[in-house]
Formats: sequence, structure tokens, C-alpha cells
Amino acid sequence: MKRLRPYVLILVALVAWEITARSGLWSPILFPSLERIGGQLWAFISQPEGFTQTWTTLYRTFAGFAAGALVGVLLGMLMGRSQFVAGLLDPVFSGTYAVPKLALFPIFIFVFGLGSLSKIALIFLECLYPMTIITYHGTRSVNRVFVWSAQNMGASRAATLARVVFPATLPYVFAALRVALPVALIVAIITEMISSVDGLGYLVTYSLSSLKTDRMLAIVVVISALGLALDHALVALRNRLVYWEKLDTYYV
Amino acid sequence: MQRLAQLGVLVILLVAWQLLSLRGLPDFVLSPLDIARHFIAALGTHELYLDAWASLARALPGFAIGCILGIGLGLAAGIAKSFDELLSPVVFLTYPVPKIVMLPLFMLWFGIGDVSKIMIIALACFYPAFINAFYGARATPRILVWSARNMGASQAQIFRRVVLPGALPQIFAGLRVALALSFIVMFATEMINARSGLGHLIREAENSLQFDLMYVSLLTIAILGYAGDRLLRWSRKHFLPWEESHA
Repeated sequence: MKRLRPYVLILVALVAWEITARSGLWSPILFPSLERIGGQLWAFISQPEGFTQTWTTLYRTFAGFAAGALVGVLLGMLMGRSQFVAGLLDPVFSGTYAVPKLALFPIFIFVFGLGSLSKIALIFLECLYPMTIITYHGTRSVNRVFVWSAQNMGASRAATLARVVFPATLPYVFAALRVALPVALIVAIITEMISSVDGLGYLVTYSLSSLKTDRMLAIVVVISALGLALDHALVALRNRLVYWEKLDTYYV
Repeated sequence: MQRLAQLGVLVILLVAWQLLSLRGLPDFVLSPLDIARHFIAALGTHELYLDAWASLARALPGFAIGCILGIGLGLAAGIAKSFDELLSPVVFLTYPVPKIVMLPLFMLWFGIGDVSKIMIIALACFYPAFINAFYGARATPRILVWSARNMGASQAQIFRRVVLPGALPQIFAGLRVALALSFIVMFATEMINARSGLGHLIREAENSLQFDLMYVSLLTIAILGYAGDRLLRWSRKHFLPWEESHA
């Protein structure tokens, strides 16, 4: 009984949904029953078409995320280890941090075309910010004594970076990855909703404009499951690689 | 000195951009001087203010609703176990889910007007506000609570004088994330469907290939986002004089 407690609110919401759907007060277009959503979900999963569309979205998400993570970690570590680079880049990042990068999307469409590349470029840009900023803070908070002792024992600059600074920054890198991955998925979906002919975001808007709400909700369920699964996979990877530090979060 | 060097970098970048444009850039890349010229021209017209106002009238109420609910419930979950057990699993479970996918559904329920947009912005802002308030309240050092209780403070007093000030830095961190998020979601919803606002303006400019208008809209949203962030930092200094701001 106690183990079930966390799910009370979700269960209540589902029951309330079903009662609303079956009461007949609203059109099934506004509140399709769970049964119909489930049917559409099955139809989506069991057909190769669903798999292809999901893959399109995932491909964009991962491509932009990977590029943003790689460049962001490099920039963040450079900024953390060099006063000059930090002085150069810090004002750029903190000045444009609060600016919605999504506003650049129309320009990206002209530069990179209507296909995947403009979306990947925007995902890259949105991921770059949290990756760089959090890695930068992480590199700066590396315990100085560790760096000093490594230097004292004759470690070269490269060895200090690879053996001391990088592992010490790793928890921060993973914190940044956990911020950036949902952002990547969100931006992929948004750009697909704004302008696309494929991907899950497109399917959501398409199902809505053809008033197939049950299908739309089924895809919303798929997207939610993707977001959850990606986050859990990342946490699992983190706990394997950063085994010396316990993750300071709740319920994950 | 540091300031001067940073300003220098900015000036060098702009000059390089301007010089590049002299050698000929594609149509969709305007030179900084051109952008400035169009922006100043647009400032003299009525439309830009209308669109900016329409955007703010969506982002700010959404931000306020989401943050008030998020901070309130987050603090409640941080200090009361019953709230924690009821709310936290749902919040943390749905946290990595892209909230924007709910927009079509909200449009069906609340219409395609401003209500559905404000609701989706509030939903997006709720999460960072809740999570930061929750962690902020939970991180209150027990010793402080004990000593307050020892000195005869009531529950309400402990909350107001110990838990809340302790959680404020974290709450402000959440507000900063939420503010940036509210602008992103506002822009996204306006680009997906709206008849006014900066997101709509940029879409319209894109469709009619008016690149100058695109940059005007872009610059306006950039300035608004930057100003909002500065305002938040300034109020943080005002409310948290004892905390050194680290941005």
C-alpha cells in the first residue's frame, strides 16, 4: 500500500479522465477515452511507419545533442582552464543566455534549408548553452589541492587535464547533459511542429488538424515515454561512469 | 579593464561582420548597420509595440501563474511529508516530458486564443519553480530549525524567518530558468499559431521574405529576454543582500 502512494495522483487523474470521457458531456474529440487512445497507441507502435517517424525525431535530437555536448564540454573546459578564453566567451554566453534561440529558427531555415539540418543546428545551439556554462562552473570548482599535487608530482598540463580536471568535472558534465537532453527533445518537437513534413512533432499537429485527438494523444504518450526513457538511460550511464559520487536527486 | 576588453571583443565582432557584408553576404544575412537602421525605423512605428505587448501579455501572466503555483507547492512539498509524497513523484516523473506537446490539446480545450498559450507557459514554468523551491526548502539546515524552535518560534515564524530566507537563493535560480523558458515557449506557441506577437511577426516576415522585419523581431525578443534577466538579477540583489550573486 505504501509503495503505491506515489502513484495516487496519476491514478486519480486517469480515472477522472475516463469518467469525463464516458460521461458524454463533451465530444469524444475533446476527451477521447483511454481505450481509444490505447488502440491508437498500439496502431502507432505496431506499424513500421510509427518507428520511422520516431527515428526521424530521435535522429535530429541525438545529432544536435551530441554536437552541442561535445563543443560545449570543450568550450567549458577551455574557459575553466584559461582566463583569456573565459574573458572572451563569458560575456557572449551570459549576455545571450536569456535570449530565446528559437527566434533564430527562421533564419536557420534560410541558411540550412527546410530539412533536418536547420533543426539540428538549432538543437545544437540550445544544447550548447547549458553544456558550456555548467561545464565551465564545474571546471572552476575543481579542488585546487588536487591540481597542485598532480603538478607537484610532475604531471604535464595534458596529464593534469585528462587525469584530474576531467574526472573532477564529470559530475557537472552529466548534470549538464541531463539539462540538455530534454531541451534537445523539446526543440526537436517544437521545430517539427513549426515546419516539417515528418517526425513526431509533425504528427501531433497533423493529427490535430485532422481532428484525430485520440491519435494525437497516443503520440503525446510516445513523446513523453521517450523523454522519460532518455533521462533514465542518461542517469544509468552516469551512475556507471561517476560511481564515486552519488546522484543528489530525488526519485530517479 | 575587464569590461573594456569585453566591449572590445563585441566591437571587433560587429566590425568584422560589417566588413564581411561589404564583400557581399547572402540576402538573408543583414549587416549590423542595416539591422540597426531597420530597428530604429521600426521603433517609430506602432506595430512593433503592439506585437511586443501581445507577446509580453502572454509570457508574463504564464510566468507569474506557473511560478506562484510552483513555488507554493514546491515549498509545501519541501516542508510537509504528505505533500511531498503526493506531489513529488508526479512532478519528477513528468519533468523530462516536453510540455509543448500539450499545446494542441490545450488549444482544443481552451480555444486557440491567449488562454491556451498562457496555460502552456504556466505549465512549463511550473517545473523549474517547483523543483528549485522544493530543494531549497528541503536543504534548510536542521540546526537552524531546532534553534529557532528552542527559542520559542512558532511554526509560521520558523517558515517565514528560517525556511523561506534559506530557500530564496534557490527559488531565484528557479525563477531565472523559468523566465528564459517562458520566453521560449511564448515564442514557440506564437510561431505555431497566433495572430499577433513577435513569434507571429517573425513567421510573417519569413513567409513574405522580409528579412529586415525578421531581424527586427529577433532583436526585439533578444532585448526583452535580456532585460527580463537583468531585472531578475537586480531584484535578486535587492531581496538577497546577504548573498553574493554568481551568474
